[in-house]
Amino acid sequence: MNMHRRVLTLVALVLASVSAARAQARGPAVLPIADAKARVAVEREIARAEARGLPTQPLIAKAMEGVAKQAPGEQIEAAVASMAKRLEQARTLLAPSTSAAELASGAEALRAGVPAAMLKQVRAAWPVERSVVMPLDVLTELVARKIPAKHALEQITALMRRGATPSQIASLGQAVQADVASGLEPDAALEVRARGVMSLLPSPASVAAGAPRGSGKQ
Amino acid sequence: MNEAQDRMIERVRETLRTTPDAAPDPRAVGRLLNTVWESPRPSAWRRLLDAWRVPALSALGASAVAGFALFVGFLTRGALGERLEREPLSATGEFPVQPGATPVMQAAAFAGESAPVLTQFVLDRRDARSVSLVGDFNDWKGGSTPLTRLESGLWTVSVPLAPGRHVYAYLIDGTLVQADPRAPKSDDADYGREGSVVMVFAR
Repeated sequence: MNMHRRVLTLVALVLASVSAARAQARGPAVLPIADAKARVAVEREIARAEARGLPTQPLIAKAMEGVAKQAPGEQIEAAVASMAKRLEQARTLLAPSTSAAELASGAEALRAGVPAAMLKQVRAAWPVERSVVMPLDVLTELVARKIPAKHALEQITALMRRGATPSQIASLGQAVQADVASGLEPDAALEVRARGVMSLLPSPASVAAGAPRGSGKQ
Repeated sequence: MNEAQDRMIERVRETLRTTPDAAPDPRAVGRLLNTVWESPRPSAWRRLLDAWRVPALSALGASAVAGFALFVGFLTRGALGERLEREPLSATGEFPVQPGATPVMQAAAFAGESAPVLTQFVLDRRDARSVSLVGDFNDWKGGSTPLTRLESGLWTVSVPLAPGRHVYAYLIDGTLVQADPRAPKSDDADYGREGSVVMVFAR
């Protein structure tokens, strides 16, 4: 009996140490924000987001970006709060996707000026089990290069429906990026590059027949 | 001790009781050895259960082990779990740095659409004393991804990045944030300091 008690004590202590270590890993990081008031507010915002089931890593990154850029405390506070709102919005729009990467990409798309309804359209273009990180990231990039969001969305969802892989969609984003940097009109660059990627894809008939494509899981 | 061992000891004792004192008699030794040999070997499950029931540590020892585990857990604080997600592995020297001439060059180091892609960053800042890479992939932690200075004076580092769009900048001499002069820019509505963008994907 005494031995059983010892064993139970040992197990309890080990479990307690493991859970304490995990709590330390998850718990609020001490952010190096010089303004103590802003730091407390940011940490509270992160804790609130965590309680709502939102990913905290994008919020920590946003706060740390402010620290690296030596932004004033209240600016960091506002940026983190705004990011939390966008994450929440992205979660609603991308449902049932819940991965942290997808929510972060959705939040970044909203920040870049992609209309909210478009996130739903991107999500709907692929089966739920496929991550839409890359299509969202490319949409964000195209909008950031001053391509009208509507035009960018049409091209991306057309590629998605034709069975393009995430890499093929990403190659579109990078090619347009390079073309715009070299002086080509953004709209023209998108049109010509989308045509190029489309030519690599199987015909719509074979896609409808269920021809296998790359998994593209992210 | 377990029950099987108890039974075996009992049989050994019985055998010894009938053994003349003038041992070593070979037959007596043989009987003794046979007794030991014939004792049933406990099953693997039984041995596992016995090991569980009979701790090798006292309560004090167990407390010390648990305390040590707690201390180690506190020190690491999930560092192992977070490392792949947040810290570029090149910072630990596990990935080779591949110097090159292109400011941002991607190399498909891994197969698969979602596997990290080794991505090289190069900056020409010959006047800098130190340069590190900060971005959404390392939580903008200054100093966590230092660049190496080459003989040419160029700074470079290669980091495995998850496929997708990443915003980054360089931290010069520990304080000055500078966008990559040869990469597309990213507006920064939050802090008003533009960064750079890299699209990462497996080729």
